[in-house]
Amino acid sequence: MGTSVQVKPLCGVYNENPLAYLVSVDGFNFLVDCGWNDHFDASLLEPLSRVAPTVDAVLLSHSDTLHLGALPYAMKKLGLSAPVFATEPVYRLGLLTMYDHYLSRKQVSEFDLFTLDDIDSAFQNITRLTYSQNYHISGKGEGIVIAPHVAGHLLGGTVWKITKDGEDVIYAVDFNHRKERHLNGTVLESFVRPAVLITDAYNALNNQPSRRQRDQEFLDAIMKTLRADGNVLLPVDTAGRVLELILILEQFWEQHKLAYPIFFLTYVSSSTIDYVKSFLEWMSDSIAKSFEHTRDNAFLLRHVKLLINKSDLESVPDGPKVVLASMGSLEAGFSHDIFVEWVSDTKNLILFSERGQFGTLARMLQADPPPKAVKVTMSKRVPLVGEELAAYEEEQNRIKKEEALKASLIKEEESKASLRTELPVNDQMVLDANNTHSSSNAIGQRSEAFRDVLIDGFLPPSTSVAPMFPFYDCSSEWDDFGEVINPDDYVTKDVNIDQMLMPVDGELAGKLDEGSVSLILDTTPSKVVSTELTVQVKCSLIYMDFEGRSDGRSIKSILAHVAPLKLVLVHGSAEATEHLKQHCLQHVCPHVYAPQIEETIDVTSDLCAYKVQLSEKLMSNVLFKKLGEYEIAWVDAEVGKTQNGMLSLLPLSSPAPPHKTVLVGDIKMADFKQFLASKGVQVEFAGGALRCGEYVTLRKVGDASQKGGSAAIQQIILEGPLTEEYYKIREYLYSQFYAP
Amino acid sequence: MASTGQSLTSLKKREATTANNRDGDQLIITPLGAGNEVGRSCVYMSYKGKTVLFDCGIHPAYSGMAALPYFDEIDPSTIDVLLITHFHLDHAASLPYFLEKTTFKGRVFMTHATKAIYKLLLSDYVKVSKVSVEDMLFTEQDINNSMERIEVIDFHQTLEVNGIRFWCYTAGHVLGAAMFMVDIAGVRVLYTGDYSREEDRHLRAAELPQFSPDICIIESTYGVQLHQPRHIREKRFTDAIHSTVSQGGRVLIPAFALGRAQELLLILEEYWSNHRELENVPIYYASPLAKRCMAVYQTYINSMNERIRSQYANSNPFEFKHISPLKSIENFNDVGPSVVMASPGGLQSGLSRQLFDRWCSDKRNACVIPGYVVEGTPAKTIINEPKEVTLTNGLTAPLNMQVHYISFSAHADYAQTSTFLKELMPPNIILVHGEANEMGRLKQKLVSLFADRNTKIITPKNCQSVEMYFTSEKMAKTIGKLAEKVPEVGETVSGLLVKKGFTYQIMAPDDLRVFSQLSTANVTQRITIPYSGAFAVIKHRLKQIYESVESSTDEESGVPTLRVHGQVTVKQESENHISLHWTADPISDMVSDSIVALVLNANREMSKVVVESEPVVSEEEDARKAEKIVHALLVSLFGDVKFGENGKLVISVDGNIAHLDKQSGDVESENEGLKERVRMAFQRIRSAVRPIPLSA
Repeated sequence: MGTSVQVKPLCGVYNENPLAYLVSVDGFNFLVDCGWNDHFDASLLEPLSRVAPTVDAVLLSHSDTLHLGALPYAMKKLGLSAPVFATEPVYRLGLLTMYDHYLSRKQVSEFDLFTLDDIDSAFQNITRLTYSQNYHISGKGEGIVIAPHVAGHLLGGTVWKITKDGEDVIYAVDFNHRKERHLNGTVLESFVRPAVLITDAYNALNNQPSRRQRDQEFLDAIMKTLRADGNVLLPVDTAGRVLELILILEQFWEQHKLAYPIFFLTYVSSSTIDYVKSFLEWMSDSIAKSFEHTRDNAFLLRHVKLLINKSDLESVPDGPKVVLASMGSLEAGFSHDIFVEWVSDTKNLILFSERGQFGTLARMLQADPPPKAVKVTMSKRVPLVGEELAAYEEEQNRIKKEEALKASLIKEEESKASLRTELPVNDQMVLDANNTHSSSNAIGQRSEAFRDVLIDGFLPPSTSVAPMFPFYDCSSEWDDFGEVINPDDYVTKDVNIDQMLMPVDGELAGKLDEGSVSLILDTTPSKVVSTELTVQVKCSLIYMDFEGRSDGRSIKSILAHVAPLKLVLVHGSAEATEHLKQHCLQHVCPHVYAPQIEETIDVTSDLCAYKVQLSEKLMSNVLFKKLGEYEIAWVDAEVGKTQNGMLSLLPLSSPAPPHKTVLVGDIKMADFKQFLASKGVQVEFAGGALRCGEYVTLRKVGDASQKGGSAAIQQIILEGPLTEEYYKIREYLYSQFYAP
Repeated sequence: MASTGQSLTSLKKREATTANNRDGDQLIITPLGAGNEVGRSCVYMSYKGKTVLFDCGIHPAYSGMAALPYFDEIDPSTIDVLLITHFHLDHAASLPYFLEKTTFKGRVFMTHATKAIYKLLLSDYVKVSKVSVEDMLFTEQDINNSMERIEVIDFHQTLEVNGIRFWCYTAGHVLGAAMFMVDIAGVRVLYTGDYSREEDRHLRAAELPQFSPDICIIESTYGVQLHQPRHIREKRFTDAIHSTVSQGGRVLIPAFALGRAQELLLILEEYWSNHRELENVPIYYASPLAKRCMAVYQTYINSMNERIRSQYANSNPFEFKHISPLKSIENFNDVGPSVVMASPGGLQSGLSRQLFDRWCSDKRNACVIPGYVVEGTPAKTIINEPKEVTLTNGLTAPLNMQVHYISFSAHADYAQTSTFLKELMPPNIILVHGEANEMGRLKQKLVSLFADRNTKIITPKNCQSVEMYFTSEKMAKTIGKLAEKVPEVGETVSGLLVKKGFTYQIMAPDDLRVFSQLSTANVTQRITIPYSGAFAVIKHRLKQIYESVESSTDEESGVPTLRVHGQVTVKQESENHISLHWTADPISDMVSDSIVALVLNANREMSKVVVESEPVVSEEEDARKAEKIVHALLVSLFGDVKFGENGKLVISVDGNIAHLDKQSGDVESENEGLKERVRMAFQRIRSAVRPIPLSA
């Protein structure tokens, strides 16, 4: 009867692997999250590869690798081609995260799982939604509505609500109910009684100290090291939790007028902060408020300096400093290099703000006790020389020729197609090309700008369609320069690479800072040279929980409040999953599932339902009673049919059958006490019962302390001798209920 | 689905007449401002007891209370939601007054960008407007207070307040401008505010909502006029300025500080950077307000179009190289040609007026009016190019400067309006925000455009109510145990009807706590009564009254108990007390009350020997009594009730006559409504008069 719902985990159950789950709602397959780990371990994606082509839509919840890392790879290699939905910040920061990953990896290895191009084309498919936007899926999934809601944890983080026929399937992982400096808490608690809730057990066994205490310890640890002339390294993610850390440091530095430099070092740090500055509407109320009142953008950083190149850091004079560098796992990126440099000095501090992914260097160092020495691989990219270079060039030439050929073919086809479609379009279209051809226009401008040619962008010659179809340009340039074999001729390659990057997002590439651009553009043939070495771990290592997830206790109370009809647990160590499962079975709802990988579970609600029309005749005789946000009434009706075959409810022609009385309402003893007091009755609590007046007592048995689905009906006992007071109090008690 | 009746009564009168008529299907829309005029936008809407107010502006041509919309036509305390489309004064400026000086206690929503600019703009308005203190509508403090109460909504975000669902679409026009779609019980109303379907240098075009509304309240500022293509207007604009400054003249652009001004600055900036020869001609924007708002423009790039966002990637497009701010006229070094953009746009007062007064008599100078000018402002006067103008100091001066009117105001023209409406296909269109003439012409054109369709086009004046009727089908979802089997026609469904917002669910009482946050409760009552007589006496008496009295002994204490009516347990607690025990429900309560009365009686009459006399009440007498009661009750309900033929009752209400058969309960009447009511009333009376069935 109800909507059929199946859940099939593809990755990340009973362990802390990345997240990817297949949720089918009436045959429409949602892939919720598409994560990968920092090792980019392709074997993790096997289950995904088996179902990727059948996916109808992808929903992303957070902007970190664990939630969206595999998207480019899956799009390119696994045949995933569905539309993707995410919030604007998840889209933008996710893109930057992937760039950062790629650049970090490329620097130290022959990374070939995906390219910047793949990242761009994967993210191009993303439809951006705002919080609480109801998006109606059309076509196959007709009738399904998806809506992102605030999850906390990361900027733009999403709790997905999938609704069909009034039944809600909620996907909420890594949520945070606490309000933070830059984020509001999740709104998960405002959903009540969804048909299915899919959530994680990641933090089920963790408990956190209070925020204030944690912040204090964090700052103390940093200050202690700095004062002792040591350096502090914070391995962070690219664009997620790091924002909170930056705000904490920024605030503290401002308050105490500190002069120690702070650096935020990722390949995309300055673009990250630039974009974050424009995401104020996604942040916490206090940030929005301060902007409204003083027009002070919280991310206008005064103390934190943004670096995109390690050499910039090296040019800084020696002395104690704080460096936030990606990746958090220490497996790659700047944090890896800095770690190797700083780890053997006892003065230094490496402060982890999140648990490292399983099997990474960060996780190893977080072990208790920390290892005395660790093996690391130092890799470096060196330019090719001699024979290697010659071989490389030959290979490149061959590829270029092939591509040029292909491009010219495509060009021909495209020009034919475009003539057909674009001819009737008037000037207006050209002017507003941004709208429909945003990307291409951006490329046009951008690549032109490279050669110092200014395009007005407003009044292009009416015959020219070039700004809209820049692929001609690039392909023709392929033609022009494809034959050039001189590797010193950088310009050509600049343009090529640049355009590879552009098609998706001209603006973004523009944002990539010169350093990183030079890195992307630097196509000097090179190879990676690796050396393994063992470093002594002498510096101090601290782990503090700045992950911004709800802790075990809060998760439990939130789940009890939400009280789903069916609960699916994913993502979390085996113990945590099992623990939470047992807890929920007892306190939340009787249907708790924790499926294994590729195990399909059916969480179709056994709920029966049918729709009826309420006829005007019936409704005119119904008197509603208001109870909180509900209004209720008892109806006795006869079933009839409307012209179009709908069932409809008509008034009874015979007298209504008697029915058992129900008292509807939730009585809180404390509230009732106040109510009685306001009516002039003397009341007090005595031994768990409420004593009203002199003799009458009111007691609640089988208290609904467990608010979950199995909660019993409230039992209230009213006792007393025959007095007027008794009847008076009974009347007051009745007034608290609705008795149809 | 909708039947439209347009009645042009004042709201107050209507309230008086319909106060008792709880006809929830009536939808009322009343412009409190912007009806057949431009300025003080404010549209009131009410449906099914829910009330929404769109916009809350002032009329720029008036001052003080006269500028307000007609708030006294409504009761502000009944308004649930107030939605502000954008920050312009004629859409938002009476908000502080409405929030702080009236009984309004609902919620206010606007977009993030609107809220940020709203505060700056109104503070500036308070400072600039030169009216006496009594005439001040609100103070700086009121604005700050209002900020606390304004809530933000993001584009497309769906919110629900009190059963009213609403969300907004991009409207073009200015940064943060929104069109609101309101959904009350399935009836959708779209309020466009000011909108533009043309993308410009920094804003997106207005979106086309994916759902067609039942009513579209749309602006008609430009009526049937057509805009020139944008690049032609831009060329005229830059040409006019270029030729003036190259002849050594000064250009005054009176523009409202925010909104279109930013667009013009973008145009000028681009033109200047493309024309090196103009490098020495300074451009000023004389508005500290615009300067303050730059931070807002720099932040909310996500509400702007792709073009600006891609520029933002390289550098901030709102950091101008050729344009500098100008603090006041004292700081203005007026030598040689220059371009000054100054507010206000209507030349009423302030810097733009000062410069106008200074420059108007020199024929080399030019004044470019870049937007819509409101009736009654000096700018409107000079568009007609009079020979002379009156200066602020009261003197008259010849108007020699050239006046150009090039409209950049981002309002929809006829082409945009008609395509927008054609795609949207609303069955009802209400025109607001337009001069009466323009609006009339637009109405004519739209009527002929939609001639083949049954589209209603209405142009209410201020305070004229448009009333429509929507018979919405109420659908309910039966869920849980009650829905285990889909019933056949003719079967009975009984359960709790739970209404939340405008969604209905029917469920069994046991399921209530499963599907809602409500819970059910049982109240067990125990009452002790002093009684020192023999328990058997009670038993005996109870048996006389009740059919079912079972006696047993309590398992724990071994005292004798009686179970009356299967619901109330009477127990002899001690020699001097007996107790009653039952689970509360109306029947049991009644039974217990009668037992209490009986016990008390027994107490009093302890010594009396009870003489049994089987109560003999003839059926006939019973029936006669019942009939009397039925008659009396019907009289109290319907007034005129007479005995008719064959024992039928004749009930006449307002000329409608119904015949009621007392035996069968059949009702005959011409009037369906009356028939139904009499039938229902009789059924209820009968169930009240008849004895209570024991099986319950």
